[in-house]
Amino acid sequence: MTKSFHDQVIAILPKLRVQALALTRNRAAAEDLVQDAVCNALSAQDSFAPGTNFPAWMHRILRNRFISDLRKKRETTDIDDMPPSFLSTNAPHEDRIVLKDLDAALARLPDDQREALVLGVLEGMSYQELAEVAGCAVGTAKSRVFRARRQLEAWMIGEEHVGADRLKAQAAALQRKVERNTQEKTASSRV
Amino acid sequence: MFAIQTDNMAFPSGGVRVHHRMEKFMGDDPPKESKKTSDQAFDLWLKRGLHQLFDDVANEPIPEELLKLIEEDRRD
Repeated sequence: MTKSFHDQVIAILPKLRVQALALTRNRAAAEDLVQDAVCNALSAQDSFAPGTNFPAWMHRILRNRFISDLRKKRETTDIDDMPPSFLSTNAPHEDRIVLKDLDAALARLPDDQREALVLGVLEGMSYQELAEVAGCAVGTAKSRVFRARRQLEAWMIGEEHVGADRLKAQAAALQRKVERNTQEKTASSRV
Repeated sequence: MFAIQTDNMAFPSGGVRVHHRMEKFMGDDPPKESKKTSDQAFDLWLKRGLHQLFDDVANEPIPEELLKLIEEDRRD
């Protein structure tokens, strides 16, 4: 028996929460985002074609809602807003510190990379599905997951920059050097 | 799905340390193999970490208000 539209909405709520938390980094904001996305989905249910990919459709609505809200107001990230599991967990102290580091590192990732990584790793979404959700090419989805993973690994083992970030840092350092040289030349020509 | 292939490996905080230790144990293993093992260990560690960070939220009960909203729409 096929599930009704509303049953599918209820069934996907836990996954929407994960996506919302990955995007907002704030539990209260994530709850609001899920509720708003559900309202949008209910209003737009006639536009959903039965038999097509409901999870991708629903995740895309949530994502679009997040982007639209973001344009109005940039969300704040609160490190104290971490899940209670690793504050009250039985995990050893060292593990909790590492989890805290992971949470902080996740917060530093661009929203689209964090979302792709979380949906891919936790929800088992394929690159194709991630691309559908994000409205991007499959290659882009793949690259987001790859870069997020590589950046997290670099941060967790103590490397500050990788790939493009490293290049950007080098370019910025070079730019500063050029500016310094120019200033020095200007100063010496005045003497 | 992504490259999380092992289910019986721990990845402590020192990823590099693990990498070197494994090289010692495995002797002449080519660096590529060690890198692969290290990547798998990190992937597994990352997956577990993400579960610890996000599972709570996924498993929380759905707010009554939200369920009511959906049920009301179903009746309309």
